[in-house]
Amino acid sequence: MNVEEALREAMAAQVAGVHASPSLGQAVRRGNRRHAVRFRVAGAVVLAGAVAVGVPVALTARPDTASNPGSLAGTGAGGQGGPAASAAASGDTVATPEVLVPDVVGKRAVEVDAILKEAGYTVKVMKMVNDDAPAGTVFAQMPQPGTAAPPGAAVTIMIATTAGPTPAPSEGAEGAGMPQDLGDLGDGRTLGGVHLGYLPERLEWGKWSGKDGFGKETYTTSWVEPGLEPGMYNVQMVVYRKDAASVLAKRMQSFAAQGAEPVEVGGRKAYLVSVSEGGDRILDGGTRTIVWTLAPGVGAEVMISPDYAAKLGTAEADKELKKIAAGAALGK
Amino acid sequence: MTEEDEAAFDEFLAARSTALLRTAILVCGASASDAEDMVQNALEKVYRHWPRIRHDNPEAYARRVVVNGAISKARRRKVLQEITFAQPPETPVESPDLGLRDVLVTELRKLPARMRAVLVLRYWEDMSEAETAALLGCSVGTVKSQAARGLARVRARMENLEGASA
Repeated sequence: MNVEEALREAMAAQVAGVHASPSLGQAVRRGNRRHAVRFRVAGAVVLAGAVAVGVPVALTARPDTASNPGSLAGTGAGGQGGPAASAAASGDTVATPEVLVPDVVGKRAVEVDAILKEAGYTVKVMKMVNDDAPAGTVFAQMPQPGTAAPPGAAVTIMIATTAGPTPAPSEGAEGAGMPQDLGDLGDGRTLGGVHLGYLPERLEWGKWSGKDGFGKETYTTSWVEPGLEPGMYNVQMVVYRKDAASVLAKRMQSFAAQGAEPVEVGGRKAYLVSVSEGGDRILDGGTRTIVWTLAPGVGAEVMISPDYAAKLGTAEADKELKKIAAGAALGK
Repeated sequence: MTEEDEAAFDEFLAARSTALLRTAILVCGASASDAEDMVQNALEKVYRHWPRIRHDNPEAYARRVVVNGAISKARRRKVLQEITFAQPPETPVESPDLGLRDVLVTELRKLPARMRAVLVLRYWEDMSEAETAALLGCSVGTVKSQAARGLARVRARMENLEGASA
């Protein structure tokens, strides 16, 4: 048998049992709306799209269900994970190729940060209004407890918060290093030190915020029309500070290199472009996004969901994006 | 999008989605579920432009999106893939050539993404060198050299195996 034939047969055998799901059409149409909130890693090793945290999934991971994989640890599935996980937790720095993500659901956010860092993971934080779990505790995590993940991998924790006014910082309920600095829970318009003076009519805060999902020192949240499904957005903002802001500046340069013309908003140069899911390529039919630098070391990106853009009309959507950008200012 | 467009899109899915999924799995070297996500993303693009492309070879368009998506995904997810690859590939058990197939598939997965894509398009999709070049946006010469190098590696592995069992 020659190699071409052998290869052809091997490939055929490899995929013979694979069939597309009958619900694919539905999934495509649903996904095409592509208005799910984005929270992902941006940076050198971008797993764009692949890392998008499904907020609806997270919301369904109630403490009781989310802790299930943890309880599986007693069975065969998680059996060998115990020693590896505890070795990592005890600070054993011997290079382990892969360890199991510890179960942190139900713990207080302050402890969790330390636990995960000690296990060698980087921590990404989302806060979400959730009345079923005590404020300041982790109510869901991704990946799930007991999942194998190499050291250095990102673990996203979802911290329950309340919709009310921000607790006084002096309470220190969430401790240093935790996203008290999100500063988003007051009027829901200040995030990462950037205040939005203008938002399209009827939009309200999406009741969640995330930190470091787009790189270290990035902050994100969204605004929605009342009644929009959880996990979806109309307008989402990401604030980039320090190193993340320079990464964003490079992205703006690449927009220019791809032929985008800058627009002016509030006396600053901005790019108003349609971008791919990863946010780095200009793409016909992509998400309308405005990107600009507010001040040295502070960049911002505001995107409008394709659904909302379609509802407003392209011209109006662009106008809204420019108004949002023009109305943004550094917080006091 | 008219109702007729929608119906035509459903027909297109029924006819082509399994083939696209299989190609995606082979090119990406990923598990079926990863490939499903990728195919879904690609089909979302197809759907977005459907009224415009439905009369103009949508299959070629879809395949191009899937293959290019699979290549970039394979590159981006190299590390994750290695984890995926640790699992035994799913192959039918009744085959007498199971060992050889396994070896070939494993070898295929080890190739650089673009080289693997060339082999998949040439020998699984039965596309010509010119078609493959057009899809990948490279020259026919590149397709030739990538195919030759890829095949040489697979062949070396195969001969090695045959030598060992003889």
